[in-house]
Amino acid sequence: MPRYGMVIDLDRCTGCRACMESCKVENNTPEATFWMYVFRFEEGEYPDTRVRFMPRPCMHCDNAPCVKVCPVGARYKREDGLVATDWERCIGCRYCEVACPYGVNTFNWTHPEEQYYLGWEDGAPPWANPDLNEPYGDERRRIAGGGRDEGVIEKCTFCVQRVEQGLDPACVHGCPLKALVFGDLDDPESPPSRLLRKKEAFRLLEEVGTEPRVHYVGGGPPSENSKQIDAVEARV
Amino acid sequence: MRRRIVVLLMVVAGFGLQAVTYLFLATPIGKPTDDSFSNPRVPFAPALFILGVVLVFLAAVVYEVLPENGRRESR
Amino acid sequence: MAARLERLPFGVGHTSGRWKLWMAVLAAIAILGWYGWYLELSRGMIVTGLRNIGPMGGATWGMDVAFIVYFVGVSFAGITVAALVRLADVKALRPIARMAEALTVVSLVLAVFAIMYDLGQPLRGIVNLFRYARPQSPFFGTFTLVISGYLFASLVYLYLGGRRDAARCAEVPGRLQRFYQLWAAGYGDTREEQERRSRASFWLAIAIVPLLVVAHSTLGFVFGLQVGRPGWYSALQAPSFVLLAGVSGIGMLIVIAAVVRRTVAGTDRLDDGVFRWLGNALMILLLAYLYFMVVELLTSIYTGAEREREVTEALLSGRYAPIYWAAVALLVIPLAFLIMRYFRRGAGLTTLVASGVMVNLSAMAKRFLIVVPSQTHGTLLPYQPGSYTPTWVEWAEMAGLIAFGALLLAVFAKLFPIMPVEGSES
Repeated sequence: MPRYGMVIDLDRCTGCRACMESCKVENNTPEATFWMYVFRFEEGEYPDTRVRFMPRPCMHCDNAPCVKVCPVGARYKREDGLVATDWERCIGCRYCEVACPYGVNTFNWTHPEEQYYLGWEDGAPPWANPDLNEPYGDERRRIAGGGRDEGVIEKCTFCVQRVEQGLDPACVHGCPLKALVFGDLDDPESPPSRLLRKKEAFRLLEEVGTEPRVHYVGGGPPSENSKQIDAVEARV
Repeated sequence: MRRRIVVLLMVVAGFGLQAVTYLFLATPIGKPTDDSFSNPRVPFAPALFILGVVLVFLAAVVYEVLPENGRRESR
Repeated sequence: MAARLERLPFGVGHTSGRWKLWMAVLAAIAILGWYGWYLELSRGMIVTGLRNIGPMGGATWGMDVAFIVYFVGVSFAGITVAALVRLADVKALRPIARMAEALTVVSLVLAVFAIMYDLGQPLRGIVNLFRYARPQSPFFGTFTLVISGYLFASLVYLYLGGRRDAARCAEVPGRLQRFYQLWAAGYGDTREEQERRSRASFWLAIAIVPLLVVAHSTLGFVFGLQVGRPGWYSALQAPSFVLLAGVSGIGMLIVIAAVVRRTVAGTDRLDDGVFRWLGNALMILLLAYLYFMVVELLTSIYTGAEREREVTEALLSGRYAPIYWAAVALLVIPLAFLIMRYFRRGAGLTTLVASGVMVNLSAMAKRFLIVVPSQTHGTLLPYQPGSYTPTWVEWAEMAGLIAFGALLLAVFAKLFPIMPVEGSES
C-alpha cells in the first residue's frame, strides 16, 4: 500500500497560482472555493522587504483532527494516506471545518448549479469532470470532486480520481516550475523521497501534532512578521 | 416481586446495551485508517445505544406504573 | 385524602382573550422563524451570514451553534431543581419543580430545532446520526446523551411526577378529563404507591444528575478539544459550560416563576422563600462563573501565544469588544443586585427578574463570543481577519424558537397545573 505525500519546493514557487486554477478546473469547485491556496507573504520593514510564496493544499494529516471529530464518519483516512470526504454521508455540520488548524475545508452554501461562474446553462461548466461522480477506493465511497451536493463539506482530495489512475494531482501536474511533487513516501526513488533527501524539510504547524503529509523544502514557515498580501478575497 | 425483577432486568439490560454498543462502536486504540475508526461495526449501533439509555429510564416508568401481579390495588 | 377538586386549578382549561392574543403574537413570530428555515432549506445556507473559515474570511459556526449551546444550557434548570428537591430535600423549591421540568423539556426541544437549522443536510443528519454516530466525536455525547437521553429522562420525570395531579384533575368533568385519565392511568394514590413514587423519583434524580454533567461537559469538549482553534483549546471549556448553563437555567426559571406568579391565579405558594432560594443559587453560580472568566482572561493576557492573543484582543478592544463588555456588564450588574438582595432580605422581585433576564442575555452573547471570534481571528495560518454578521434569517430563526418555547410553556400551563395541586404534596 503506497504512503502518499507531497513535497513543495518553496525555492521554486513564484506564486503564480496556476496550481489553484488547475485544481479548480479538475475538481469543479464552485465559486469562491479554492482547495489549493497560495499565500503571498511580505516580510520585513520597508525598504528591506521581501516577498515569499507558500502553496497550501490539504495536509492529509496522519493525526487528522477533522477525522476525529466527524460525527458520522464521512471524513475518514484511507490506508494510502488520503483523508477523504464521503459527500453522500456528510450531514453538513461543519465540525471538520472548525477543527482544521489549516483552514482547508469548504462548505457548499447553496446548490452547486447556482455557484459556477457566469451561470452556465444547465448548471455545469464546460470543464465538468465526469470522473467526479464515481466511487473510489476499496471502500467504494464517493469522495471525489467539488460542488457535488449542497450543504456538504468538501476539500482537497489529492485528486483521488487521478491518483487512482496513476496520475499526479492536478496542482502537481499544472505547476509550470515543477515546484510540487507527489508520490509514495515509502518508495525511496519517488520524486518526493528524492527531494526530501536533497534538501532540509519542515511541515506547517508541527507543534499542533497533526502529522501532516505535506512537506516543504527551501524557505521556511511563515513567521510572526509575515503579512499576507494579495489575499484571494473571494466570498459568495 | 415480579415487577422488581422486570425493573432490574430492564436497568441491567439498558446499561449492558449501552456498554456493549459503545465498545462495539468505539475503536479503543485504533489507527485512523482502520475501518472501525469511521464506521460502526454494527449498523445502527448508535440507535442501539440510545435504546439502552431509554430502557434504563423506562424501567422507572415500569416501577411506578405497572401494578403488582396485575391486581388492582385497594385504596 | 384531600377534598375533591371542584375546578381545575391555576387557570387550567380556561383561556382569556388576552392569553389568546399573546399566543397569536408568539405564533406569528414562531412562523416567521420557520419561514426563515424554509428559505434555508430551499436556497441553502447561503441565506445566513455564515461563510468558510480561511481564505473566505468568514465564520462557519455562528448564531445557530451559539443558540444550540444556549438552549441546552437553559435545560440545566429542570434537573437541578429536581435534584435539589429530591436529593438535597430542599422543600422550599417544590412549588417550581414542575415548571423547571417543563422548562427543561421545552428547552431541549428548541435545541433540537436549532441543530436542524444548523445542519447543511438535516434530513440526512437525522438518519445518519442514528446510523453512524462515532463516540470519538464529541458530538456523539451531544446527540445520544443530551438530546436522546436527557430529553427522554426529563419527559419520564415530568410524566411520573405529574401522575398524582393528573389523577386529581381527572376528578373534574370537562374536555380535558380524558387527557388527565390517560396521564394518571393506573395511579391509585395508596400509601405504597406514594412510597414507590418517592423512591423512583429519588433514583431518577440520581440517574439524571450525571447525565447533566456529561451533557454540558461534552458540549464544552466540542470546543475545548480543538487544538487548531486558539481561544477554544482550553481545559476550562467543559466546566465553564456547565456553570454558564446553570446561570442561564436558574435565571430563566426565575423569570418564568415570576411570570406565573403575576399571571396565574392561586399561585401564592410561589412566595419569597422560593425566590430567595433561586436568587441565592443564581448568585453562587454567577460568582463561580465570573471566577472562571477572570482566570481565562488573565491566562490569555499574561502568557497567551500570539494567535490566542489576537483572539483576546478582538474580544477586549477589537471587533467584538461591544458585545464582550455588554456581556460582562450583564453579568456583573445582576451579581450586584443579588448580593444586595442577599444582605437586605426581602428586596423586590423586580430586580430579581431583571437579573434573570440580564444573565440570559449575557449567556446568549457569551455563547456567541465563544463560538465566533476564534474562527474569524487568530487562525493559526496567517489568513486575513474575517467577519461574520448574522442575516435577518438567523435572527428570525432564533427569535422564532424563543417565541415557540414561550408558546409551548404557556400552552402546557393551560393544559396541566403548572404547580403541584393543593394537598398533593406529601
